[in-house]
Amino acid sequence: MRGVAGRAGRRFVSSLPALFGVLVFTFLLMRVLPGDPAIFFASGPNAGQAEIEDIRRRMGLDKPVPEQLLLYLRDVATGNLGRSMTTGQPVLNDLRNRLPASLELTFCALLIALVLAVPLGILAALRPGSAVDHGVRLICTLGVCVPTFVSGLLLIYVLYYLLGIAPDPTGRIDIFAAQPPEVTGFLLVDAALAGEWEAWWAAASQLVLPACTMALFVLAPLARMTRASMLAVLTSDFIRTGEALGLSRRRVILVYALRNALLPVITIMGIVFSTMLGANVLVEKVFSWPGVASYALDALLSSDYAPVQGFVLLMASIFVLVNLVVDLLYGIADPRVSIG
Amino acid sequence: MRIGRREILAGAAAMAVPGGPALAQSRAETLRQVTGNTVNTLDPTMPGSTREAFGISVNVYDRLVGFGRKQMGAGWVFDPDVIRGELAERVETSADGTTFTFHLKRDAKFHDGTPVTAEDVKWSFDRHVTARSLAAVQIQTGSWTKAEQFRVVDAHTFEAKVERPDRLALPNLCTLYCMIINSKVAKSHATSDDPWAQAWLKDNAAGSGAYRIESFKPGEQVILRRNDDWKGGPLPFFRRIINQTIPEAATRANLIERGDADLSIDLQASDVPSLAQRPRVKVVSTPQFNAFTMVAFNTRMAPFDNVKLRQAVAAALPYQDIFKAALFERGAALFGGDWSETPPTARFPQPMPMKTNLERAKALMAEAGYPNGLDTTFSFNVGSAATSEPMAALVKEALARIGIRVEIQKLPDAQISTLVTEKKLPFLTETSIAWLPSTDYFFRNFFTGEQRWNYSSWNNAEIADLTAKARFERDPAEYEKLCKRMIAVLAEEVPLILLWQPNQDAVMTQAIDGYTYQYHRQVDYRDLRRV
Repeated sequence: MRGVAGRAGRRFVSSLPALFGVLVFTFLLMRVLPGDPAIFFASGPNAGQAEIEDIRRRMGLDKPVPEQLLLYLRDVATGNLGRSMTTGQPVLNDLRNRLPASLELTFCALLIALVLAVPLGILAALRPGSAVDHGVRLICTLGVCVPTFVSGLLLIYVLYYLLGIAPDPTGRIDIFAAQPPEVTGFLLVDAALAGEWEAWWAAASQLVLPACTMALFVLAPLARMTRASMLAVLTSDFIRTGEALGLSRRRVILVYALRNALLPVITIMGIVFSTMLGANVLVEKVFSWPGVASYALDALLSSDYAPVQGFVLLMASIFVLVNLVVDLLYGIADPRVSIG
Repeated sequence: MRIGRREILAGAAAMAVPGGPALAQSRAETLRQVTGNTVNTLDPTMPGSTREAFGISVNVYDRLVGFGRKQMGAGWVFDPDVIRGELAERVETSADGTTFTFHLKRDAKFHDGTPVTAEDVKWSFDRHVTARSLAAVQIQTGSWTKAEQFRVVDAHTFEAKVERPDRLALPNLCTLYCMIINSKVAKSHATSDDPWAQAWLKDNAAGSGAYRIESFKPGEQVILRRNDDWKGGPLPFFRRIINQTIPEAATRANLIERGDADLSIDLQASDVPSLAQRPRVKVVSTPQFNAFTMVAFNTRMAPFDNVKLRQAVAAALPYQDIFKAALFERGAALFGGDWSETPPTARFPQPMPMKTNLERAKALMAEAGYPNGLDTTFSFNVGSAATSEPMAALVKEALARIGIRVEIQKLPDAQISTLVTEKKLPFLTETSIAWLPSTDYFFRNFFTGEQRWNYSSWNNAEIADLTAKARFERDPAEYEKLCKRMIAVLAEEVPLILLWQPNQDAVMTQAIDGYTYQYHRQVDYRDLRRV
C-alpha cells in the first residue's frame, strides 16, 4: 500500500509543471481574446470612461499583464480564484457548489454507459459479423452522430411534453420538493444519508434523462473498445487452453477473457470521464443543470476572466486525478502492470 | 374555540390525503417564472448586475415613489406621467419646482421589523450619489449628484432639493436604483474599505418591499416569500415567487404549455405565434414604447460622416421587408412617418419620415461623391442574431443596389460593446432602451456626449443646445416646441435610422392576470394574480 501512496505522490508532483503551464496559458489566452470585460459590465445609460476605469480597477485589469499574472499566481497559491462578475460570487464558492452537480451527473451517466456498453461489446465480440454485432454497431453510430442537445431535446419532448412520464427537465430536484440537508453536495448521497427517500426519488428521477442523454453519447467508444479488445483476447492461447480444459464458457469469457480485455477499456473510460465532465455543457444547458461547464461557458461569453481560468484549472486537476485513478485501476485489473 | 364533530371529521379527511389540499393551495399561490438569464446580485446598483436582478430588487425593496400604470391596447403598461407613493404617503413639490418634501408612511417597516425612518432614506440616497455604483450615473440625469441635496426634516419627513427645476428629478427617484435600504442593518455590515456595505448587500437584502428573499442561488434560482406586513401598496396575490433560470428557450416554452411554469418573458419571438394558439397559454404582447431598434452610422468616421451618404442609405433600406423578415411585424414600426418639416407630436420615439426610394438613394449617392459605391461592414451582436441576421442580409442586398458593398460582421456581446464604446464600428444595429421615456432624456442619452449609448457618436451643436434647454423647461408648450425641433433635426441629419419598437411577449398560463409592462422590462410580481 505504501508503494501505491508513494506512486500517487510522485505522480502528483510530476503533474505540477503541467498544471502550472495550464494556469499561465489560460491566463494569457483570456487576455488575448477580443472583448473588454470592463466595458461589457459597465452598463447604464451614462456609463462613461470613469465607470469603465473603475470596473477595470476592481477587476485588477488596470495593471500591466505580467503584474496581473504574478498577482493571479499569488492568489491561486493562497486558494483564491477571484470573483465572478456574472454571478457576483467568489469563483471558488461557485465551483464548489456546482462541481457536485456535474460530478453526480457524469458518474451516473458513466455508470449507465458502462452497464450498457460492456455487455453490448462482449455480445458483439462473441459473434463478430452477426446480426447482433451489426445491431450494436448501429446503436453506437446513432449515439455518436446524434448531438447531445438533439437527443436531450428529443427525450424531453417525448417523455416530458408528450407522455408526461418524466418530471419537468429543470435542474437537479423538483423545484417544489424539499432539498435534503447538504452534506456532500451529491443529492442522491445527501438524501440517502438523511433518509429522505422522497427527495432521493425526486433527485433520481430528475437525473435519469440527462444521464441517459450523456450515456448515449459515450456508449460508442466504450462498446467499440470492449468489442475490439475482447476480440483480440478471445483468439489468444490461454482462452483456447481454458476451453480445452473444459472450463465453462461463462467462466472463460467473464473471468479470463473480460479481465484481460478490460485494460484498454479502463484507459478509454478515464478519457471519456474527463471529456464528459467538461464537454457536457450542452446537456447542462438543455436540462438547466447547475453544473460547472455551463457556468464556464456563460463566463466565457461575457469575457469574465476569473471563472474561466478557475474552470480550466479545475478540469486540469481533475484530469490529473482521473489518470492517477486509472493507473491504480490498471494494477487491480492486471497485477503485472505497475506504472511508476 | 369550540371544536365540533364536523370540524374533527373535516380535519381527519384533510389529514388522510397528506399534503393534498395544502400543497395544491400553495401551488396556486406560488408563481413560477422561468427565464434564460440569471439574477447575479441582490443589489441592483452593482456594476454588472443583470436585468433579472433589477426585477427582483423592485419586489424586495421599496422606493419613496413609483410609477403608476395604465391600459394600453389589451394590456397594462407603466405610466411615467403618474407618480404614486410607495414609502412616501405624499410628496409636496415647491412652487419653483426645486424642493420635494416626502412624508413617509408612519407604519412602514423593514423586513426585520424596525420602522422606516427619514434617517434610512437619507443614508440610502447618500449611498446612491456617493458610492461607486450604477445608481450615481443614472440619477445624475435628474440633477441628483451630492449628499447635501438630501435632508432629514424629522423622523418621518425627508427633503430633497435640486438647483434648477429638472423635469426628470422626481421620475428618477421612481427608478429601481433609488431603493430605500435599512441603514442600521447595512451599517453593521459596512467596513472601512466598504463604507456602503456593497459587498454584503450583493448577497443579502435589507429592504421593506412586498417580498423578502427566501433563498438566493446565483445562476440557478431565487425564491421570494410575501412580506405580509407590507405597507407600500395593496398586498400582492402570490405568497411565493420562484424565479428560475432555464437556459433553453424550448424547455421554457414546454414548461408553460404543460402548466408547470406560469410565466416567461424571454421566449423566442418565432415561437410566440404558435404558442398563442395553444389553449392553455396566454400571450401578452406589448410594444416596448421606451425602446427602439436602430441602424446606426459612425458620424465621426469616413465614410458615414457624410450626411448625403447617410440619407442615401436611409432611402435605400427596404423597411417593410426588414420589419417582416426580422421581426415578423411583432412590434411598432418607427419608419414610414407621414411628415416632413415638423413631427406631428413631441413624443419620441415616433415613426420617422423614412421611405424606400431607390431613385432618390442613387441620386444621393452621386451627390455624396460616391458614384462608384464603397465598401463597409455591418455589425451586430450574437445575442440578437435571431432578428439581426435576417436584417443584415436584407441590408446587404438592398445596399448592393446603390453600390454599397456590405460585409456582415457578427460579434460576441462583450466584443461588440468594446468596439462600440471605442467608436470603431462604421455601421451597426442595436436595440436600446430608456427607463424614463421622455424626449429630452432620449436625446440627451442617445444623441449627445461620449458615452456608449451615443451609438452614432453624433455631435450636433443645435441638439446639445436644445436638450440643455428642454431639461429645465417648465412650460409644456415651450417644451413641446423644443422636442419637435430635436426630432426634426434627427430626421434631417440621420445619424441613425430608427426601425421599430419590438414587442415584449410575456407568455403565461391562462390563469395569470394583471401582467404589466414595466420600464425595467422585468416582471413586477406585485401586479400579478391568479384567477
